[in-house]
Amino acid sequence: MRAALIAGLLAAPAWAEDPPEVLFQIEGDVEYGTYLAGECTGCHKPDGGGDGIPAITGWDQETFRYVMHDYRAKTLKNPTMQMIAGRLGDDEIAALSAYFETLGTEGN
Amino acid sequence: MKLDRRMFLGATAATLAAPMVNAAGHGRPRVVVVGGGAGGATAARYIAKDSDGAVDVTLIEPTRTYYTCFFSNLYLGGFKEIDDIGHSYGGLAASGVNVVHDWAVDVDRAGKTVSLAGGGSMPYDKLILSPGIDFVDGSVPGWDLSAQNAMPHAYKAGSQTELLKAQIMAMPEGGTYVMVAPPNPYRCPPGPYERISMVAHQLKANNPTAKIIIADPKPKFSKQGLFEEGWEKHYGGMIERLGPDFGGENVSVDPGAMTVDIDGEVVQADVCNVIPAMKAGRIAEIAGVTDGNWAPVNAADMSTKADPDVYVLGDASSQGDMPKSGFSANSQAKVCANAVRGALTGSTVFPARFSNTCWSLIDTNDGVKVGATYEATEEKIAKIDGFVSQTGEDAALRKATYEESEGWYAGITADMFG
Repeated sequence: MRAALIAGLLAAPAWAEDPPEVLFQIEGDVEYGTYLAGECTGCHKPDGGGDGIPAITGWDQETFRYVMHDYRAKTLKNPTMQMIAGRLGDDEIAALSAYFETLGTEGN
Repeated sequence: MKLDRRMFLGATAATLAAPMVNAAGHGRPRVVVVGGGAGGATAARYIAKDSDGAVDVTLIEPTRTYYTCFFSNLYLGGFKEIDDIGHSYGGLAASGVNVVHDWAVDVDRAGKTVSLAGGGSMPYDKLILSPGIDFVDGSVPGWDLSAQNAMPHAYKAGSQTELLKAQIMAMPEGGTYVMVAPPNPYRCPPGPYERISMVAHQLKANNPTAKIIIADPKPKFSKQGLFEEGWEKHYGGMIERLGPDFGGENVSVDPGAMTVDIDGEVVQADVCNVIPAMKAGRIAEIAGVTDGNWAPVNAADMSTKADPDVYVLGDASSQGDMPKSGFSANSQAKVCANAVRGALTGSTVFPARFSNTCWSLIDTNDGVKVGATYEATEEKIAKIDGFVSQTGEDAALRKATYEESEGWYAGITADMFG
């Protein structure tokens, strides 16, 4: 299923920018996400504050996964984030989104 | 007493092979971290935070206020105040780290203790050394530490940085600033050249007929095209770099006369910033985990080749492809913290992954960056992917890159100090 989706992505540039559906179906491993987030918190403050580097807390998991996918696909432009997201697999993006959600989403 | 200690440490060693079994002989397992910079502070904080009190973490750091070497050039350029780059350890103490302000002067690897200058010793199950750099004696003939007031290195931030800035501001009109640049490998590859940019920024505003000379033993340097483009654009004619083809590797100094001999050509300097060759901070050598100037480590967890219970982070380590930078040390610290906590408590140890980005400021709102991702191989920390700013980028992108560096500074210092 997943292989078929990826093959479809590669074959169909018309929706090449859309994340694979499976990315939204994976349950993120919070413990793994906690570890992986060390790569984020070298720059992004976990309390969400700071200028010049956007806050990545307060997002729901779907938004987080979309944005990481778009950096991975290089449709979002920052070269640092393209590089960081470029080596994140779907499981890792899911884990990170699950971890950051534990820090609270906007309005909570 | 010592015998008892060895006896239960022997028992600990046996339990390490079977994770989840605590070091029952002495309650919580003990981690001692030496050096409270980007590597050590981060490692201490992460082990304390993620073990939730299951590991006893002590940080040994002599200074009560830590001045980051990164962004210290921006203080020289007038973009930051000295207090902006100073940090206390109160946040680490609040997160459960036992912060000891003292010098670690000896390591007994057989007895697993660290001796303190103030007397007494700290026992450990795992020891993490993150001592930064010291200088190689005799690397610049005529210069030694006793000359650091006449010719500051300013490559450990704090009083040296303030001294160098005072000297720059007191330069006579049309005076000469000389930098003796370091040979590879050294802390912060773009650092000397960002410093030149920041000194030129100060002089352009306050002393526009002054000159800057760089005597450089290296044929090329980090972000060279970007710096040289920026120097021409912002400081045209002020900066002259003498590489090895112009004698930049044959340099001696006379701190009394304030002269610099560059391949037989004697230059009278008003300010002379000598950045000598570097080596691992002395405690790594005392611990017997160095080979030559640096401490070789295993890429998977930053443990030393010499001792599986002694880890070395950051500038002091010899690890492979990562540059010696605060960002690298912070990244390595998280891999190490995960592995150490796993070894002591049985928590999951995830595969090592590393990254680095170095921002540099060339002039107001003219920021550039270089970065890479890395993985652990059997042999070393190996580069996977990378990027670097391009020459000819527009002003809006350069401004955004500078603003990003300010965000990063806030982020990494929060990650280090809590």
